[in-house]
Amino acid sequence: MSGGGMSNRSLARPADGMNEFSQAEVPGIEDTTPPCRRPTAVELNIAAECQPVSLDLSADIFAAGINGALQRFPTVECQSIAILDKGFTIPSWKPYWPKVPTFGLTFPEGMEFLPAETESDAKSDEKLRHIEGPQRPDSEGATPAKRKLTRLKPAGDDLSIEDRLFYLLQPPLETWLKGQELIMPFEPFPYQYEGIGWLFAQKSALLADEMGLGKTMQTITAVRLLLRSGQIRRVLLICPKPLIPNWQREFKLWAEELPVVTVEGDSARRRMIWSMPNTPILMANYELLVRDFEAMSADEFPRFDLVVLDEAQRIKNRESLTSSTARSVPRKRSWALTGTPIENRPAELASLYEFLEVIPPRGTPDLRQLTQLAETYILRRTKDLVLTDLPPRLDRDEYLDLAPSQKRAYEIAEKEGVIQLDEMGESITIQHVFELVLRLKQITNFDPLTGESAKLDRLIADMEEISASGGKAILFSQWTRCLDWLKERLGEYGSLIYHGGVPSKKREGILTQFKEDPDSHLLLMSYGTGAVGLNLQFAGYVFLFDRWWNPAVEDQAINRAHRIGQKNPVIVTKFISKDTIEERIDRVLQQKRELFAAILGEGDNTNVSLSLNASEIFSLFDLKARSGKGTKTIGPEEPKAGDKDAA
Amino acid sequence: MHKQSTQDPMRLGFLTALEIPKRGHVAGLLVTNHFGRPLEFQCTTPVKPNRTQELLYGPTLVPFILGDLLSRTLLEKVGVKPQLVLTDSPDMLELRNYVSIPVACLIEDDTTSHSTVVQRSVDSVQTVKLGLHHFAVHPAHQKDLGVLRDRTTGFADTVDLSEPLDRVREALQETMSAGAAA
Repeated sequence: MSGGGMSNRSLARPADGMNEFSQAEVPGIEDTTPPCRRPTAVELNIAAECQPVSLDLSADIFAAGINGALQRFPTVECQSIAILDKGFTIPSWKPYWPKVPTFGLTFPEGMEFLPAETESDAKSDEKLRHIEGPQRPDSEGATPAKRKLTRLKPAGDDLSIEDRLFYLLQPPLETWLKGQELIMPFEPFPYQYEGIGWLFAQKSALLADEMGLGKTMQTITAVRLLLRSGQIRRVLLICPKPLIPNWQREFKLWAEELPVVTVEGDSARRRMIWSMPNTPILMANYELLVRDFEAMSADEFPRFDLVVLDEAQRIKNRESLTSSTARSVPRKRSWALTGTPIENRPAELASLYEFLEVIPPRGTPDLRQLTQLAETYILRRTKDLVLTDLPPRLDRDEYLDLAPSQKRAYEIAEKEGVIQLDEMGESITIQHVFELVLRLKQITNFDPLTGESAKLDRLIADMEEISASGGKAILFSQWTRCLDWLKERLGEYGSLIYHGGVPSKKREGILTQFKEDPDSHLLLMSYGTGAVGLNLQFAGYVFLFDRWWNPAVEDQAINRAHRIGQKNPVIVTKFISKDTIEERIDRVLQQKRELFAAILGEGDNTNVSLSLNASEIFSLFDLKARSGKGTKTIGPEEPKAGDKDAA
Repeated sequence: MHKQSTQDPMRLGFLTALEIPKRGHVAGLLVTNHFGRPLEFQCTTPVKPNRTQELLYGPTLVPFILGDLLSRTLLEKVGVKPQLVLTDSPDMLELRNYVSIPVACLIEDDTTSHSTVVQRSVDSVQTVKLGLHHFAVHPAHQKDLGVLRDRTTGFADTVDLSEPLDRVREALQETMSAGAAA
């Protein structure tokens, strides 16, 4: 503390002439202090003006900051410092690197399956399989561009870093599948690689590729990769009963090493199958799923890592028992496969989303939300977009004049029918109108009295040409009775029948005969039994003898032939009787094809449509809906594969 | 019908590093089976030398960080030990001086591949061709060339052993952006 330029030390020194500060009165002070400077004139002046005061002062510090109550002198010692004789060094530097932290990820051990043994395998030794890889461009310079590999991508941004790395560090699908660890019988198309990768990463997925693009193969391969990488261990596949053999065949083709167990037999056997813990893939049809789960209590339900619903439009009605049962299966992943995610109403998507667990139970997303969810959870490609090398499908609408007796029968039936409907007044229902529609449609196929049929005449003309060239054709009709009637008249073309009335065990044989018998040129199928799941790409002609109520179903039927593997253009002939109810229905349906394109995206206006609703059915006869429920859909139930009779 | 995975006859380590601006070097090691399927992945946090280290290590700094500090840490840390380490960074060949397994560096012999691969004439160093690419080893461990040949006899000429290194780089970028290894 200093004041007025004086240090404490200078104040503490006794000033000359001040008796109170003699050495004798301040013992202990040795005169070892070095000579100090003399007080300044100001200091002396201050000292001269001071009055003697007692030394017994308090240690308060004056406002000036001077401590005037020091009672003893500080000890002051002076030491001399020797001159340095050597320089300092900073501590020696040793390289030090802290231990580097690491972050790691161990991949789950996948399931490995014994490869299906072939004759060549049996002879081979235990050497490593020859590894194929991307082909090196030839050295000519005119090399094709390096093919873009399909990398797995994590789905969504909410995954943990471990999950994201799991996907990023997987090999490209092409390397994984092309003759290395997994054998593929055929090289998938690029869009199929994309679909496989997408499915692999999705916990909730609706694969809605147009029919014929290979949903089955993509699903099987994704399941195969998930099993092999240890992501899943138990899969349940639900499909319509007639498609079970098809799935078994496809598993054999695309993943022959995977053991597939089908739920079948009596109830005791089925219960045993459901409870088998070490079956990687269980397959069941919808009916058995419902029946068996009804017989179990909730805590008995088998648990699965993945549940796949094929032809998932079967659960489009969320109130149905099938839907609720499918939703009740304990599972970690949910996939749905359908070529027609919307057949009639956007609300059908909500039921599928509920199964996928991407909306809450009973959730009712609006159109905007449906579209947003579709971007994340639906993958849909159409043939036009991805199969540019698939032979074209040539549609021709054959507008035929009714044969004379047909025309008479039709006019009478229509006139009487409309009169009857008019007479019914307010009691008329859509069912009454619908019955008339069916009657008229049947007459457009053939006159039940005379058997005259303009469609048959035209069909015979076409079949002569087709059989002469060795071609094969598929014909679809709504009525099994019509198919039987046609078979009697088309025997010379080796016609075969395939509809719900044919026992399941005989169906495979029929398909095989149609494929292999050179004298068999025509397969007569019902929409209900033949429209889904079958691969008939060796047929180059499709006839729609009568029209279904929903173009989506018709497209499914056509795509039995127009699908991957088809090498020639597929000619699709749709018979439409002129000036009849068929023409009017066709016109209405045509106008409705584009209504749902907004939900499923561009280029997707060919496979979704609405069935006719009540107002539209009434308007076919210039009648007005009496019930006021203009949006109620009428018409037959959609064809279910395996139905006894489609109509 | 199925059995649990048994020991693979070959485990490959794919080792590479990235320099993250302002954060330093980070390295990753992916161990795969002989089909390229991942078994384990390890990566380091970024290591940034200080000014003193930069001055005192001089040109040996990066080889030290990549080849010794990071690579050795990864190889010690990884649970599934590879029988062969492939890298695309010549600095990481330094690892061979501390481990007993062969370490080989991808030698790019065309200009079409990614820039992280060292550009070097194939003729100027002794190399071994594994699949589509040539690989070199540490000058002090030329015997490794023969070991490499022996251990990769099952590999086809068309296999692309640079592809897993792309995966490691992508994973490193993912971890850096996620901050998992920050």
